[in-house]
Amino acid sequence: MDASTLETTIHPLLLYVACAIGALGVVIAMPRKGVSSAIIGGVLAASAAGMVILGLLFTRGTDDHAPNLFFHAFAILALGGALRMITHPKPVYSALYFILTIIASSGLYLLLSAEFMAFALIIIYAGAILITYLFVIMLATQAPDEGDEDALSGYDALAREPVAAAAAGFVLLALLTTMMFRGTGALPVHPGLNGSDAILSQLPGKVEDSLLSSLRKEGLMESAEGFARDGETGRLVIDSAQRRIQIAGDGEERFIVVPEEMWPEYLVGTNVEGLGLNLLGEHPMTIEIAGIILLMAMLGATVLARKQVDIEEEAKARQQRRLAVEGQR
Amino acid sequence: MMAMTGAILESVLSAALAADPAGGMAGAEHAASQSSGGALMALIPLLPLFGAVLVGVLACFNEKSKMPAYVTVGLLAASFVLTLITYLGWDGHSVMQIRLWDWIGLSWGDGVGQSLDAGFAFYLDGLSLLWMLFVTGLATLIGLYASEYMEHDVGLGYCRFFGAFCLFVFSMSCLVMGDNLLMLFLGWEGVGLCSYLLIGYYYKKKSAVDAGMKAFIVNRIGDLGLLIGTLLTFTTFGSLEFTQLFSTIEAGHSAAGVPLGDTWQVWAIPLLFMAGAFGKSAQLFFYVWLPDAMEGPTPVSALIHAATMVTAGVYLVARMMPLFVADTHLIALTVVTWGGAITAFWAATIAMAQYDIKRIMGYSTISQLGYMFAGLGVLATTGGVYHVFTHAFFKATLFLSCGAVMHGFAGQLDLRKLSGLWKVPGFKIVSIAMLIGCLNLAGFPFTAGFFSKDMIIAEAFVTPDSMIPGSSWAGWLMLLTAGLTAYYTFRVFFRVFVGPTEFYPGDDHHGDDDHGDEDHASTFHPHGPGWAMNFVLIALAGGSVLAAGLYFMGDHHGWAGGMVHASSAQFDPAQIGGHAGGSSAEQADIEHGTVFGFDPHKAMYYISAVVGFIGIGAAWWLHLAGRTQAATSRMESVAAKFGPIPSWAEHKWYVDEFYDFLIVTPLRLISNLFFWFDRLVIDGIVELFGGTPKMGSETIGNATQTGVLHDYALRMIAGTAAVLVVVVLVLY
Amino acid sequence: MIDLISGTFSLAQAGYPEAMAASTLNQYLFVSAAMFALGLIGFMTRRNLILMFLCTELMFQAAGLSMIAFGRYHMNFDGQTFVIFVLTIAAAEAAMALALVVLLFRKRESLDADLWAELKG
Repeated sequence: MDASTLETTIHPLLLYVACAIGALGVVIAMPRKGVSSAIIGGVLAASAAGMVILGLLFTRGTDDHAPNLFFHAFAILALGGALRMITHPKPVYSALYFILTIIASSGLYLLLSAEFMAFALIIIYAGAILITYLFVIMLATQAPDEGDEDALSGYDALAREPVAAAAAGFVLLALLTTMMFRGTGALPVHPGLNGSDAILSQLPGKVEDSLLSSLRKEGLMESAEGFARDGETGRLVIDSAQRRIQIAGDGEERFIVVPEEMWPEYLVGTNVEGLGLNLLGEHPMTIEIAGIILLMAMLGATVLARKQVDIEEEAKARQQRRLAVEGQR
Repeated sequence: MMAMTGAILESVLSAALAADPAGGMAGAEHAASQSSGGALMALIPLLPLFGAVLVGVLACFNEKSKMPAYVTVGLLAASFVLTLITYLGWDGHSVMQIRLWDWIGLSWGDGVGQSLDAGFAFYLDGLSLLWMLFVTGLATLIGLYASEYMEHDVGLGYCRFFGAFCLFVFSMSCLVMGDNLLMLFLGWEGVGLCSYLLIGYYYKKKSAVDAGMKAFIVNRIGDLGLLIGTLLTFTTFGSLEFTQLFSTIEAGHSAAGVPLGDTWQVWAIPLLFMAGAFGKSAQLFFYVWLPDAMEGPTPVSALIHAATMVTAGVYLVARMMPLFVADTHLIALTVVTWGGAITAFWAATIAMAQYDIKRIMGYSTISQLGYMFAGLGVLATTGGVYHVFTHAFFKATLFLSCGAVMHGFAGQLDLRKLSGLWKVPGFKIVSIAMLIGCLNLAGFPFTAGFFSKDMIIAEAFVTPDSMIPGSSWAGWLMLLTAGLTAYYTFRVFFRVFVGPTEFYPGDDHHGDDDHGDEDHASTFHPHGPGWAMNFVLIALAGGSVLAAGLYFMGDHHGWAGGMVHASSAQFDPAQIGGHAGGSSAEQADIEHGTVFGFDPHKAMYYISAVVGFIGIGAAWWLHLAGRTQAATSRMESVAAKFGPIPSWAEHKWYVDEFYDFLIVTPLRLISNLFFWFDRLVIDGIVELFGGTPKMGSETIGNATQTGVLHDYALRMIAGTAAVLVVVVLVLY
Repeated sequence: MIDLISGTFSLAQAGYPEAMAASTLNQYLFVSAAMFALGLIGFMTRRNLILMFLCTELMFQAAGLSMIAFGRYHMNFDGQTFVIFVLTIAAAEAAMALALVVLLFRKRESLDADLWAELKG
């Protein structure tokens, strides 16, 4: 375990300089009157991010494994998409870049052995939430004046106080990373439900479906015997690496070793099963509450949508003008 | 109901005080016997106080009749009767004391001047009895007069008048009958307050309000002297009670044992008391308030500013006479003599040139008060006190006659607009009363004023110059003033009451005189005074005549002398600085002054008579002989020969203007300075305290609260970042 | 030397194969923090109401990533469970926010956030 200081994780000066350069890059990339060079800004920001990651790599311990190429690729994609999302003048493009960020994030989730969450992210976030955002963006865009259809409305074209915002944001980033890097070294591991065996032991049905009939046919188990369950937790005692299962019958218990050709390949505890066991086994109440929140959101959205809104006078005038313009075309 | 109330009061008081005999010791000079005066004595001041409360209650009920006047006159008459009973029951030489309750009793140590015991107590000896007799008597008569004089004001104004009237009598009684200097001071301030209230009675007139304030403020300056004198008395003699004071002074040393002749207080305290007395009695530098006080209603001028309040100063000096004569050099008495004489002369010169008859009487009062003080100063205590008594009667007569004229002629007071009034129907009694008063004031032979004034002037010559330096010069000055007095008094009489009948009404409209201004003079009908005013005028004029008889009663130079002899004002002439002189009957081997070799008392009878006749003759020649109209007389042509001097006298020798320049204007400047300092600096600082947060919040608020969501978000993030910087980088 | 190819990598694994190193965790956390900071900056910078909400969604994303990373580090399924709930909340919030934005748009015919400054002063 590393000592809990910042210096062993990454050189602090490197971190802060990188933050400064990143801030500069973000500011340059922001939309403003005249020309905004997003590319230069993006390059600067990317270089800053790269500096940090390299810094982190260089100071790792000797027996730490470096994360592989895919991590770096997905990370650059995610950060780049996020940067472009916040600096693109047109709202639809912003939403699309956000979708790119989501996909990259999903890749990162995969690297972290969270397969279900990775695809759930894509389905829910990119597939539902972001589509809703895109609908509303397109609904709520004012039609541009005739002859100037590519002009952006003022509030999209100009960033608002980019320097101050970037400064504040990157100071916060520097602080967050400082605190995180100081702390992670001293973070003990709290092993919980892990390992395929831990999952499998809670799925007696799956194990029985795959092994029981073949074992009985081969004569390794008597017909009166079944898999032993632990008295308190009701779990099987199973060891996948050595293919040992505990059998119980007529009051006596013994271990058998299943031959390799009889052990199916799919008999592993998967991520989905583990996630499901955790979700419903240890957080049942939270599911109920989440459901209620969703119900309230639905009701609220329905009520709000029915609300009659009086349009203000200037808005009415603008609408009249717009309809007249469109009528002329 | 009155009798029942009186009986209840009396029984309560006697029950409460039955076991409480008076304390203290009389001086060695008077007889040593004490007698407790009984509840009757306490009722004398308490009845007017009760009257004031009753009138106040009537005011609450918006009484619109003359009931307040009847209440006042009734209670004051009862008070006078009680005084008379007390006098008749007095054995002629003892002191009566009664203590109502312990007012102040403090003790903070055992040494001299470390325990103060002043009770709400009364002390009656000859001096106080003399004063109380004429105070209550005159108050009753003048109250009766006022009941008719003020009848145009029935309602709240009437109640206000009589309430202050009763309160005044109560305060004067406290002053005169007080057992200690604190009671005297209480009465002193009380009469000042009532005088202010009554001068400013016509509060809608600015001149009246200003006059009230002027009176109060000038009195206050004198009161400072009285207060410091009282405090010094306390620290020197250890007590404020008269009996204890007088016994300590008799013994010849202060309470700490130091012989009096070696202390500085023995001349400082009398000088301070003198300052207080001069302030209250309008002498020397302090006289400027009394002429202005004539803005008050005439009964007020008659009672307060002629007979009673202004004599409080004389009473003070007379009461503290043992202390005044304890000084071997008689410094204070010299100042008193010269102050009185100079004031008498000065006021007479101003009176000669005034046209407002009440003002003339006011200056005359100042002048006569000067006589009284001079009398006390040349050790003629009897003369001074007797002059107080007679002056009270004839001056009240004079003022009330002027009041009757005012009342009948709608407030007209200018002697250039009134003439020959004795022929106007209804004014006969007024004219006769006026004549009697003028004769007394001028010192016509065999009037009371003649006797009392002569006592004073003669004693001024009797007292040797070694005791009171320059006393004979003071005597000549007073003689000259007597002549001037005769002149200006009869100037008024010859202009207003005799001669061709001609009159113009004044400016006070009372309901039924609502004609236009053009024909006002022709259709104006003066109305003579009613029965109340006439009765009082007769009573007072008769009293002035009878007062002359008091000169011949008793065996100490008249009845007044007898009263003085039975009081603390009596002193042994042999003990004064080793010299003799004074009103005592004992004459040892003394050297006293003479007038051209004759005995001053006898010589004065003739000299002052002659001087008086000269004055009256001058007035007749200048103001009556050959006068055909009211407005002018031979005086104008004669006065023109004197150049600007008569006009200076008419402007009162510009004393008021001088005071304005010397005192009022600088004080105004300073107060304006302080006003602006208070307004700008102090208020500014206070407002700064209030304004700073406001300014700060406005500046900060307007800058930061833009209402835009992004600004708030930015500030929130920046704030969080700042806090975290501090936490992460600095603390850890 | 940096080992790029042979990292901890296998799809569809059974449970968690082996523990993750702290330095790897640091890298994931850095990515998460950087995404969060970018979302914050975007929120403070953009004036379009819908884009502001989109940036908050980005911040949700970053939080979710860090939760998964910690779950992997501790070899726990709690991290993933909570990301499910985060997604739920994000969806509910997006629905409400968009409904409100539509109403606001109807009132002023514009998506500019600076128009709603009535709490000025």
